[in-house]
Amino acid sequence: MELSVFNDCLTIKLSQAQYEEAVVYKCFYWYSGKYQVTIKKEMENWNIRLESIDVSDEALQRLTEKVSRDLSDFKLRQIVTNETKVIRELLTAKAFAHHETDESPETNITDPVGFDPSQISQHAIRS
Amino acid sequence: MLSEVEKKTRKFKDYSFYSAEQSNYFLMPFRFFRLNELKEILVNEVGDFLIVPNGTYEKIVTRQINPVRDVNLYADLISNFFISEDVLHPLLDVLAARYRTKKSFLDGFTSLHIFVISLRCDHTCHYCQVSRVSQDRSAFDMKREYIDKGIAMMMLSPNRYLTMEFQGGEALLAFDNIQYAIERTKEQAEIHGKVMTYVICTNLSPVSREILDYCKENTVLISTSLDGPAFIHNQNRHRPGKDSYEKAIKGIMQCREILGEDRVSALLTTTNLSLNYPKEIVEEYYNQGFRSIFLRPISPYGFATKNQLKNHYDTDHFLQFYKEALDRIISYNLEGYFFREDYACIILKKILTPFPVGYVDLQSPAGMINSVIVFNYDGNVYASDEARMLAEMNDYTFQLGSLDTHTYNDLFYGEKARLFAEVWTNESLAGCSECAFQSYCGADPIYHHATQGDLSGHRPTSGFCQKNMEIIRHLFDLMEDEKIKKVFYGWITGRT
Repeated sequence: MELSVFNDCLTIKLSQAQYEEAVVYKCFYWYSGKYQVTIKKEMENWNIRLESIDVSDEALQRLTEKVSRDLSDFKLRQIVTNETKVIRELLTAKAFAHHETDESPETNITDPVGFDPSQISQHAIRS
Repeated sequence: MLSEVEKKTRKFKDYSFYSAEQSNYFLMPFRFFRLNELKEILVNEVGDFLIVPNGTYEKIVTRQINPVRDVNLYADLISNFFISEDVLHPLLDVLAARYRTKKSFLDGFTSLHIFVISLRCDHTCHYCQVSRVSQDRSAFDMKREYIDKGIAMMMLSPNRYLTMEFQGGEALLAFDNIQYAIERTKEQAEIHGKVMTYVICTNLSPVSREILDYCKENTVLISTSLDGPAFIHNQNRHRPGKDSYEKAIKGIMQCREILGEDRVSALLTTTNLSLNYPKEIVEEYYNQGFRSIFLRPISPYGFATKNQLKNHYDTDHFLQFYKEALDRIISYNLEGYFFREDYACIILKKILTPFPVGYVDLQSPAGMINSVIVFNYDGNVYASDEARMLAEMNDYTFQLGSLDTHTYNDLFYGEKARLFAEVWTNESLAGCSECAFQSYCGADPIYHHATQGDLSGHRPTSGFCQKNMEIIRHLFDLMEDEKIKKVFYGWITGRT
């Protein structure tokens, strides 16, 4: 993370390889109440500008520490979001399925590619 | 006979599994929030939480929690669905059942049907848009035709348990309309197999023995307003004779005598004046025999926004008021007297029990249409009470249609309802989707439209977000004290 301050504007340069788009937007969304936030893709980096900041040393120190911590937090959150996406979808699908159960088809299924679907189902259960 | 795969899973895991530096568990969906410099909270999809030292979330995500070294934490994480040793948690169906339970308030669909029975009122409150209409009955009372159509619409709700709430203006000024509506509903409820609850919202100034006898006979609940001691209540609620407080108190006593102690409740409207008197307001409720109080900020809609001096305040200011008032309420409990704060109780039920809470202003999907609908005196239909407030100020965004021209499907599943559906779940809102307090909170498109001109809302500047985040955080803070935690459990279970 590279930081630079010019007038009342803090520019933060982040590697796109390290911070995916969702992390950058979710993190700096929370800064948009206090600052004017601009996010741009530049080559292999994210270029984020926070305008109207307090440039006193103490305030700047607090702000950069907060940015650093928030980025780390949102990166961790995104790991959980990405890794659990399927489970989350499965969970809500099961929750709203109204006790529907998977039943074996009661009719003969056409088998155009040469295998018996009921055999596949049994195999899946065993493994 | 067990297959090879099944046999293998029953064996004790190899020692290396437990001694490995990096563990092999799988993450389940959960969120985190830093409570303070020392502690953070982890919350799973159904609202179960763990309060842990700062840095724990990072350790979990980077697989640094070891089943041997961190045996207690590891067990807590497994048993509370934060991590799983299998790709699919073996109790995923249990978690799904709990998720369904949390959202079971949706099962019945709309239950609360508000009938604005008359817009006439004998008060001129500075925060109320409906207090300035004339006494002209024909112009501002709900026509019988609309009462009939509203009841017919209400009977189409899939919900078996319906609440019919009469609002005004001052609803009791049109008591003949209320009687007509209840009698008609009783017949229709019998035919459609509905179980009815009736509520009249009133300032109680027109109440009489005859009215209360009818209410007793028909088990009608009374919901009134009490803004605090006389000097606050009368300042907020103007009427000729400046005796709104005296009439409210006399009415409350009469209700208790005729209907019973638990058949009358009061609501507080918090104005700028109220913010300076948190203890006095709580003590007034306590001294008047109430065993609960609902500390709610004024709705920043409609007419209330016209008088900025009296009705506009920062969320910070309200939160300070709330915390001071809550401290006084808790102190009553610690002295041995049961006295509950209703907003905290709603949130605590969400935090500490597996059940949903039927509170329309703090749920996801939002309460509008899903739980509440408003039939206005003029036949127009609104998505909620707040939607009607906006309409009184000529903002018809949340007008779903009219009893004259729209069918049930048009109103409840129409184009507008579908538009609102895109923004009424906090699971899919920017800022809320990653929030640890998501399952304790809700979505409020009407609030955000009214205050920010945007149905989705902008969380970093949202008063709704600021208020709820801080109250929820504060409640967790308070629960660090075991005595207060015990009080809170008493509130949600009703046990003292």
